[in-house]
Amino acid sequence: MKIGGGSYTLSDRNLVLEIEAGFDLSGQRCRYILLGENGSGKTSFLEKILLPALDSHDVDYLYIGQDIRNQLYTLRALLATMGLSVIGAGERELLRVWAAHSPTAKVLIMDEFDKYFSDYEFMFEWTKTVIPLSFVVTHHDEPMRPRYEESTGRVCRVRFEPIGQDGRLKRVRIRQEQPCPC
Amino acid sequence: MAIYQLQSILDRYADDFLVLEINHLFVSSTLREEIWLLQKKDDEDLLRRIIHAARNYGLDEIGADRDFETYSGGQKAIVACLLVMAAVDRHDIRNLRILLINVLESISGGNRRLLTADLRQLKTSRRIRVFTGGSELVEQMEELA
Repeated sequence: MKIGGGSYTLSDRNLVLEIEAGFDLSGQRCRYILLGENGSGKTSFLEKILLPALDSHDVDYLYIGQDIRNQLYTLRALLATMGLSVIGAGERELLRVWAAHSPTAKVLIMDEFDKYFSDYEFMFEWTKTVIPLSFVVTHHDEPMRPRYEESTGRVCRVRFEPIGQDGRLKRVRIRQEQPCPC
Repeated sequence: MAIYQLQSILDRYADDFLVLEINHLFVSSTLREEIWLLQKKDDEDLLRRIIHAARNYGLDEIGADRDFETYSGGQKAIVACLLVMAAVDRHDIRNLRILLINVLESISGGNRRLLTADLRQLKTSRRIRVFTGGSELVEQMEELA
């Protein structure tokens, strides 16, 4: 299972994403770090390309979006409907319980989670036995770099680089930095 | 707590600060509406100033009537700060304290440095002090030096 290289037009986002090298979603252990300027299509890539690809192959995932503040309300309700006692549970505890009760999840996706938790390695600790593959959008790659290179040798940095404008469509190249071990 | 409750922030800081919190940057859908709500009238000049300033941040696609929901999170954060700075200038506001909660953390490196420099200018030009919420606790807020 792969997201193939090539050109993806996202008309409703005014973006054309040109993926140089595809993404292997087959389950090998890898952490993709998505980097790029504001508006370069990182979140659009997640929402419009990655998530539909996972859905189409019935791959379960944990997705923490940028609006985690609002997502937590839904998460609390979801866990309650599963019969779990989450009254008074703090944010980390909610996330821990969610991860612990998602045994079929194979991909962890976090979009700027580090603006809330500067050290977010705990999410990987909680999920490392079941989730091999992750995608992380961040603007603060460098501080965490030694930590995640220590925890997993398979880290691939992916750059989103605007390369031009075609009318209202912004063209963005998605380039995997070398070496990419994934 | 790291993912802030807006109400607790407002209870604590709204009397002393103009608060910009990343999940509640706007009350309307477009820049034009936001300005109208701020001033109870349309203001093409202010709109133009903000759109022009946005180009310095590489945001060529900002529009007066473009729905905020079509912007990325970082773009929204930049536009909110530009709106505040433009309104401050427009109304000759001084001696204000601004608190940014998780705002700068949403902005990529180059734009963050640019925005930080622009915000720092407010201190010398208008005695406006800008504080940022720490990434873990609001109690760790820091003033932009």
